Amino acid sequence: MHLRFSPAEEAFRAEARAWLEANVPRAPRPAELRARAADDRAWQRRLHEAGWAGIAWPREHGGRGATLMEQLVWCEEYARAGAPDISTLFVGLNHAGPTLIACGSEEQKAAHLPRILRGEAIWCQGFSEPNAGSDLAGLQTRAVVEGDSLVVTGQKVWTSFAQVAQFKELLVRTDAGAPRHRGISWVICPMDAPGIEIRPITTLTGESDFCEVFYDRVRIPLRNVVGQLNDGWRVAMATLSFERGTAFLAEQVRLSRRVDELVGLAQTTPGPRGRRRAIDDDEIARRLARARAEVDALRAMTYRSVSLAARTGVPGAEASMIRLFFSELVQRIDLLAMDVQGAPAVEAPASHWTELYLAGLSQTIGGGTKDIQRNIIGERGLGLPR
Amino acid sequence: MDLTLGPEETAVRDAIRGVLAERLPLASVRAVAGAEPGIDEALWREAGGLGWFGLGLPEAVGGAGYGAAEEMLLFIELGRALTPGPWLATVLAAHALAATPGLVEAHRAVLAGTLRVALVDDPADALADGGSLTGVARGVPDAGAAGGYLVLGGGTIRYLPAATHGLALERGPSIDPTRRLGDVRFDGVAGAPLAGDAAALRTLATLLAAGEAVGVAERALEDSVEYAKVRQQFGRPIGSFQAVKHRCADMAVRAEVARSLTTFAAVALAEGETATPRLVAAAKALATDAALANAADNVQNHGGMGFTWEADAHLYLKRAWLLEHVLGTRAAHLDALAVPWRAE
Repeated sequence: MHLRFSPAEEAFRAEARAWLEANVPRAPRPAELRARAADDRAWQRRLHEAGWAGIAWPREHGGRGATLMEQLVWCEEYARAGAPDISTLFVGLNHAGPTLIACGSEEQKAAHLPRILRGEAIWCQGFSEPNAGSDLAGLQTRAVVEGDSLVVTGQKVWTSFAQVAQFKELLVRTDAGAPRHRGISWVICPMDAPGIEIRPITTLTGESDFCEVFYDRVRIPLRNVVGQLNDGWRVAMATLSFERGTAFLAEQVRLSRRVDELVGLAQTTPGPRGRRRAIDDDEIARRLARARAEVDALRAMTYRSVSLAARTGVPGAEASMIRLFFSELVQRIDLLAMDVQGAPAVEAPASHWTELYLAGLSQTIGGGTKDIQRNIIGERGLGLPR
Repeated sequence: MDLTLGPEETAVRDAIRGVLAERLPLASVRAVAGAEPGIDEALWREAGGLGWFGLGLPEAVGGAGYGAAEEMLLFIELGRALTPGPWLATVLAAHALAATPGLVEAHRAVLAGTLRVALVDDPADALADGGSLTGVARGVPDAGAAGGYLVLGGGTIRYLPAATHGLALERGPSIDPTRRLGDVRFDGVAGAPLAGDAAALRTLATLLAAGEAVGVAERALEDSVEYAKVRQQFGRPIGSFQAVKHRCADMAVRAEVARSLTTFAAVALAEGETATPRLVAAAKALATDAALANAADNVQNHGGMGFTWEADAHLYLKRAWLLEHVLGTRAAHLDALAVPWRAE
């Protein structure tokens, strides 16, 4: 076992650090969604021009083709430099793109991969439905083959950034008579197709980044099916396994900085029960120390997970453990920030820390609830019966 | 960077696990702990022959030439097996005595497994009385099974043979049936401090205690999972119920947190990283957390059986509590992490 990176990896780190220092945008990010999407695309273009786009994508598909260790180094440096969260480009770069690389036709790859890498196309995800959340295979949006098209009717929900996306990775039921997992197809859906209606949903934070999307006889060319017709479940599982792979490498650096900032807040905020500063309160100090220890543990877990993946080639059950631990740790830190703030925590407009707390409530819901994560750990990790 | 076990590390781990599984399964641990002197002396000599006590020492001073990572692996295995006896203090003594020419005989005996050493942990120098030691060290683990004491002060390390004039021992039991305690009384005992860095030795000691806690947390998890797969209620294995399955998932996460952080800290120590003391403090706090919580959940998962003396579940829990009070409680380590923030 060793922690040191190889000279080649350190050289890669130096190159990444120098480029990021010179290029990370310093202007505050726009809050309004369309302006933010434009911002994301401009940043992605810059990354692409400098050869950093698709860091984990194979070179033959236009990516950087970085090793797992280089990906780790890149994510650390990216977060350390305060580079923008990939936000509206997340689905394209981390879900749809890798899925097309794994399962798409040559024509589909040629049409979409370069546009994703250059920040020209924003993708959204159409998996969840009102009656298919944790139980994704229960999805009911149906698609009927008519000539060389699929005709889609139904409803998707929790679709982040649908308002600004050009494409959607869409799961539809193409064989209602087949067993649940067999009659599903994975389709590239252009968001400007006639018959699509997007209704933003206001979340408990007051923002409207995610949407309901209705489909009324929407025609999508059959050539947009990725993989085989009715083989969409397998394709979707490929997508979800990317989501649980190396997703937390940058997060552990961001979370570490959040703890540092929270310590700073506790040093400058009046404490409870008449204490001069919040940090002088024993309970707050100890909870901060625990947060610091747990963020160190998160880093150790991501390092161990990457080490295992580098050795075996596949992420194991520890990826689900990291997902669960991370999401609950974020919430513990956010809750602590609410307590450190004291009464100003409830004043509107919400403070930065209160916004984080409210937004963080989604951490244990999106991408598989914490209950589903515990099922996965129990069944796939520990071998407990279903 | 690689935090998985390499071939040699795997071989070290497997060899230790194999010896402990064959020589000291849990049924034997109970028998050994229930009889005098409460430890398996033959196993100690065997461990000496296998080089366990000098695992992290250079070959030039009789060691195996490995480092803190391999020593951590040893203590994970000792924790998994609930091995009785003062292993931690004896390994520390192997480090502390190596640098002292006058203690060559004692060092040789420690490495051979014929001299056991107990740890008197005195971080605030409460026993210091000018150049000598005065006072009572309460609840020293395995003091009665030791031929010498390693007194680890805030800035000094001392070694005292148990027969030293002015030293007195009062033996007592622990709630952990596999370990015993002793109150060690110092009555103006003189003893020159050894050469060596007390803070560095304390960091290593704390890391190894964290390793032992990792082992307890992992074994409690494994026992629960095994039981949840076979125990049937309502016509199904209880592990199929989410109430039990989710508890097991939480145990798995705690064990993973504990093993990852302790491993990271061990490798950081071996490589001389400056953040090592902080990482070790964090590892001791979270690994003890994992051991305590997993051991308590393991009692729960075994239902009525888990509450019996016959079942092993309570042994893990009691060992976890003993470890909480070895080399700093969770609260002490967390508070130490917060000290610089409060001083600013």
